[in-house]
Amino acid sequence: MKPLLVVAAVLTLSAPAFAQSRFEIGAGVAWTGGFDAGGLDALETRNPSTGTSPLTLFGTSSDVRPAIGASARAGFFVTPHLEIEGLAEYGRSTLRTSILDDFEGATGSEAENTIATYVFGGSVLYHFGSGRFTPFVSGGAGYLRQLDEEGRTMVTGTEVHGGGGIRYRLSRHLLLRADAGVSSRDKAIAFEEKRRTLPVVAAGVSYRF
Amino acid sequence: MTRLRTAAVAAALILSVPALDAYIKLGTRVGNSLIPIHWSAFPIRYFVTNRDVAGVTAPQLQQAVASAFATWGSVPDVSIPSQFVGFTGTAPLSGDGMTVVGFQNRPDLDRVLGSTSFTIDTVTGEVLESDIFLNSLFSWSVAAGGEAGRQDVESIALHELGHLLGLGHSALGETELFGGGRRVLGAEAVMFPIAFSAGNLNRAPRADDIAGLSDVYGGDAFRSSTGSITGRVTKNGSGVLGAHVIAFNPASGRMIGGFSLSADGAFTIGGLEPGLHVVRAEPLDDGEVGSFVDPTQPVDLDFKPAIFSRLVSVPRGGSASQIEVKVTPK
Repeated sequence: MKPLLVVAAVLTLSAPAFAQSRFEIGAGVAWTGGFDAGGLDALETRNPSTGTSPLTLFGTSSDVRPAIGASARAGFFVTPHLEIEGLAEYGRSTLRTSILDDFEGATGSEAENTIATYVFGGSVLYHFGSGRFTPFVSGGAGYLRQLDEEGRTMVTGTEVHGGGGIRYRLSRHLLLRADAGVSSRDKAIAFEEKRRTLPVVAAGVSYRF
Repeated sequence: MTRLRTAAVAAALILSVPALDAYIKLGTRVGNSLIPIHWSAFPIRYFVTNRDVAGVTAPQLQQAVASAFATWGSVPDVSIPSQFVGFTGTAPLSGDGMTVVGFQNRPDLDRVLGSTSFTIDTVTGEVLESDIFLNSLFSWSVAAGGEAGRQDVESIALHELGHLLGLGHSALGETELFGGGRRVLGAEAVMFPIAFSAGNLNRAPRADDIAGLSDVYGGDAFRSSTGSITGRVTKNGSGVLGAHVIAFNPASGRMIGGFSLSADGAFTIGGLEPGLHVVRAEPLDDGEVGSFVDPTQPVDLDFKPAIFSRLVSVPRGGSASQIEVKVTPK
């Protein structure tokens, strides 16, 4: 009976003060930065007798505005410092095309569409220290899916992310969490296909079992 | 007897416009339906008039026509084989059972470079014969790079062969008043009704031309890989007849046009790549209205060009949701 008590005491001392359980779930809000969406101008072949450059019926400039969304996470502490977690994120943003220099002065200067973004993935987190404030670094990858507002245009791709953050222990089970990092995505609903790296900031609440 | 009846009807066909999937296609009315005219018997067997004009021999004309046929024939997923049968002394006139391309001196048509006529089966829309004349009132050239002051035979033949294949005019072009007529500033279709100035070439079909041809002759591959936009153009709540509506894909730069061809302002633009498009409506004021649609219809030219406020999402093999493009009076 006595040896068992000693072992239990040692385990308690070696674990972080807040790490009563290996499981944690959380939810929060996320902000993802916008980006230039690329795109071409509406050009007509010039009658060479009237000029040399193509005739611009109208120009375009397109960008995807920052997205605001929600995230949910479920984590498992492999060790007191090392955590793996699964995540799901949803965000909505606007793809906006500005019409420039319409040849005939058309009314209306913008056209837009709402883009919904879903990310399902996982991360590995390493926590430093074990106090009330616990900083961490993280990295991971995910599956990316975007849909326009009618669900008719869709892209799927992958994303990798990295960054860091901090946890603040409010109580025995409740924690606040803030993340900042970047998400590099190989696809997007846009007019130019290329990998884009976007800033991501998130904040939320976690529950440690 | 049947052939004569079809020929008589064919003369009025050029202004009949089927309101099908985009573009202006030549068609015939059967009951309440408009059927696009088309070739069913392939290869399209054609003759070339054995007549030289200044700067162009009959064999050179034949080469240019063959090249223009080959250009249309190179449109992906479209099969429209053609065959040069031989030279003929017959003029390019309808009703003789021969499809003929040739020069004719038409001083009465001093603004017409070329024209196409048809003999069709008025029930099926099948083309039985089609004839193209190039007006020898003008100076012509077959020089590879064009020749100053002379119209390029292949460019004009390409346009007229577009008609022969069933295409009407595209409105994807801008013009200015010049020398008592209109001069093209730019065009994004070989089927624009006004040619580039003499000396210039226009030998490559654009997205609008290709979509139009594919709509007539394309198969399932074309229809399953492209989509369409449907909607209405309205002004003060009422439909606008005769608006030209452009769908532009900023990702590829391709533009394809359609027309509102009914009193409620309904339009369809087909043959579009899947993805988001900018939609723009404009009046048909860059050419004679009659070169696009039936001029006896109350075509509305009194509105400002307008950009639709949404990026319209075109699905693969389907149609985008109905949109309403609201325009305002000038």
